Amino acid sequence: MTLTGSPAKDAQLSAIDQSGWGAPYRLFQPHNAAFWVWLIGVGIGSVGIVKFFGAGFGTYRLAVTSGIVFFGIYLIPWLIFLRHQNRYTAQPGALLATGFAWGFCAAAFWIALPANTAMLEIWTKLLGPAGASTWGAGLTAPINEEWGKGLGLILLIGLAPRLVRSGYDGFIIGAFIGLGFQVSEDILYAYNNATATFGVGQVESSLYILALRGFVGITSHALFSAVFCAGVMWILGRAPGERHVGRGLAACLAAMVLHFAWDDAGGLFAWNDFLLLAAPYLLLMPLAIVVLLVVRRLASRTERMWMRELLAPEVEAGVVDNELLAAVSGLHKDRRHFRKLVRNRRRADLLIESAGDLAQEIAAAGGAETPRVAHARRELLRLRGAAA
Amino acid sequence: MSTDLPGWVPVEHRWLGLDRRRLKPAIFVLAVALLLIYGWPAVNAVVPWDNPIKAGDVLDLGGGATAVPPVGWQLEDGTLVSDDTGVSPSRETVKLAKAGAVINMTGAAFDGTAAQFLDQVLTSQDANADISGAPGTFTTTSGLAGVVRTASGPAGDELLAAFKMSETSPATAPALLVEVSTAPNSFQEYSGEIEALLRSVTPGSTA
Repeated sequence: MTLTGSPAKDAQLSAIDQSGWGAPYRLFQPHNAAFWVWLIGVGIGSVGIVKFFGAGFGTYRLAVTSGIVFFGIYLIPWLIFLRHQNRYTAQPGALLATGFAWGFCAAAFWIALPANTAMLEIWTKLLGPAGASTWGAGLTAPINEEWGKGLGLILLIGLAPRLVRSGYDGFIIGAFIGLGFQVSEDILYAYNNATATFGVGQVESSLYILALRGFVGITSHALFSAVFCAGVMWILGRAPGERHVGRGLAACLAAMVLHFAWDDAGGLFAWNDFLLLAAPYLLLMPLAIVVLLVVRRLASRTERMWMRELLAPEVEAGVVDNELLAAVSGLHKDRRHFRKLVRNRRRADLLIESAGDLAQEIAAAGGAETPRVAHARRELLRLRGAAA
Repeated sequence: MSTDLPGWVPVEHRWLGLDRRRLKPAIFVLAVALLLIYGWPAVNAVVPWDNPIKAGDVLDLGGGATAVPPVGWQLEDGTLVSDDTGVSPSRETVKLAKAGAVINMTGAAFDGTAAQFLDQVLTSQDANADISGAPGTFTTTSGLAGVVRTASGPAGDELLAAFKMSETSPATAPALLVEVSTAPNSFQEYSGEIEALLRSVTPGSTA
């Protein structure tokens, strides 16, 4: 049983209900058609992976295995970075893994591979081989790949309707789906590059792809999908006050246009030799990062508001002070301000993380007082005592 | 009073063991995925090829290297000198097709002779390991010496030709692989055009 009464407590319960924070997630849902579609997509995609790499595995074994090892290692800093970005919403790891698997297997090998092959041939027929080589990739990938990855988000809404609510949920889940797609595509590139030299120097070939794709991967599929999926959530408007169809369409379009510009930079900047070489890095990468930061800021608004409402009764009770509330529910500048106030960066970060823990436990308990909530509160008070 | 036990679907919402209330996203995803997977190939199947090689067309093989393709074949992949887009001699691919015959030309980076390159190609392509013809030398009009092997089987006829695209320093020059495959018993029909294409292969002026 949960107590109601004070406006702060009512706001807290309302935030728990609207956000879905703390709702359990389970992939195996035999009554849910979304589970079966996910299974079909990931299953056929996995068979596609085995067939694709299996055909040349005898000859290109080194390229495939080194590609898997290199990009497996490359994945680690990405996961740490995205875990950090998950701070406002704390989506369960299993849900994010479900999205990653969709991007890795289904979006890449079930959807994009056959769809891209056919569409590239259509462009070759319509534009001629030279026109298709200049424009084909950019006219193909943003449609098939952004949609293919975005479908993973729609499935996750079906699998976890309470957990996938805000634009920020779409942002984070999209990043994980995109990351799965990116790593899958990178291994494919390592394999393809080795076939271009008929198997000579396979490890060197994989290292070359790691260096090339690793760097450009900073503003690649994970970024495009984060922006695209935040847009999808704004169009769907699953959280109160979050329906912004225009903004959502603009975000989806921005992701597709960035993807197009990146893939067709050779055609777009062919008129200037300097831009041809420099524009992808000096123009498109910074532009993509600016778009990402703007979308992240807009998308995090609702989640940050929920965070404030979740902790409102704790502020009333004096467990969380206003400065800490601003830091845990705020932007980078708020956290920087808080660190200055505390005058100890590590202690400030511990306090912020601890307040986040308390919010998560309150949500998981549905606003009720449980031993875990009491413990999280005691931990925060212990740290605050140490900070005083 | 209704039950909201996790995983329990009220009887009135059940359909073939599924929860009808959760069908929408699954149907949407399945429909869009199938549209992308099968829709584009369907569109592709109805769009005809219309990039025939015209008299005077010259293939750009990168680094100044060229070849003259047979007139009337469809250029499905590759770059013409007239496109003026600049291609890499070690990455360029060309695909020409006519009825059941296909010519693929692939540029690759390879240190060694043309014969060693062809051996590497055969080693990496297990499916073509039944190549039976003995290797022969083929000299182009420009004087470039290549290695040719042929094979014939129930699946059709095949020809593989390998060149190193330099007369002066062939060991470090980019390699060119020409793969021709035709339907069974039709190689003879195209042999004149294929020989003319191979004879026309010319290395770059810097070679």
